[in-house]
Amino acid sequence: MELKIRKNGNNYIIDVNGEMDLYNSYKLKELVMKMLEKKVEKFIINLENVDYIDSSGIGALIYICSTIKKMNFRLIITNIHGSVKKVIELTKLMGYFPITNSIDEAILQMEE
Amino acid sequence: MENYLNQIKQIVVEDNSALFDTTNMFYKEFPSDYRQIRYFTLLIVQSAPLEIKEINLLEQQISEIIKNAVKHGNKCRPEKKVRVWYSFSPTHAHLIVQDEGDGFKDLEKWNDFNRKRLELLAEQKYDELTDFVSFRTAKSDDNDGGNALFAALEYWNGGVVYNNKRNGVAVLKKFQQKRHGG
Repeated sequence: MELKIRKNGNNYIIDVNGEMDLYNSYKLKELVMKMLEKKVEKFIINLENVDYIDSSGIGALIYICSTIKKMNFRLIITNIHGSVKKVIELTKLMGYFPITNSIDEAILQMEE
Repeated sequence: MENYLNQIKQIVVEDNSALFDTTNMFYKEFPSDYRQIRYFTLLIVQSAPLEIKEINLLEQQISEIIKNAVKHGNKCRPEKKVRVWYSFSPTHAHLIVQDEGDGFKDLEKWNDFNRKRLELLAEQKYDELTDFVSFRTAKSDDNDGGNALFAALEYWNGGVVYNNKRNGVAVLKKFQQKRHGG
């Protein structure tokens, strides 16, 4: 799994590439925690290039989401598709996670 | 609402369940090597017909069950075996996974937790849901998502059944046969 950060205004977009599985999901969690230490407040996690997620990956997203919510900062998860979407649906978390269909939509929502 | 709650599924404990009948099932056993969980899973899933793999959803669901056996059952001790019986067809996936551990002691607690989780979801109480998105025990660590069985109970629509010792689980998924052509 590879993580890349890019900036759009005050938003930090994290592009996740690869599989969010039991061996590497902690990396995303660690990255977000480091960014929070550096006072980043607006996160967009882009899952366009993620085709596999397991319960560890879902667990990482839950941890990130609840931490950011508690701090009253913003998070949007975007471009969820294929089996990743199915696993989130099976876990019934589509309503729990803040989700958009595209990065543009996420940026618009951040501005609201 | 009441109807919805009546339909809430739960994990069952039943040694005599038909899901533990291993007749005509394939068998493999593995050492409890955490690093090889996905590899072991692929060895099993490769015999499934393409139409039930749903990209990699079947693989993902099987790897969760094997992970539970390796990690929570056998505590990743390589000398302890994970035994897997499996059978696949275009209309079903059937899996039995047994470890050498002490069994899933918190099964009732898990069922209670899941019931509460589903009630909150049905009532769309997302603030309270925060405490019910991840099932934790004293033995959970940072890499445990605490959500694998929620998805398992939805995915394995033919049942999720533990043996009385609770160190073996049998699951069944039924698929609608896809019609070919017009």
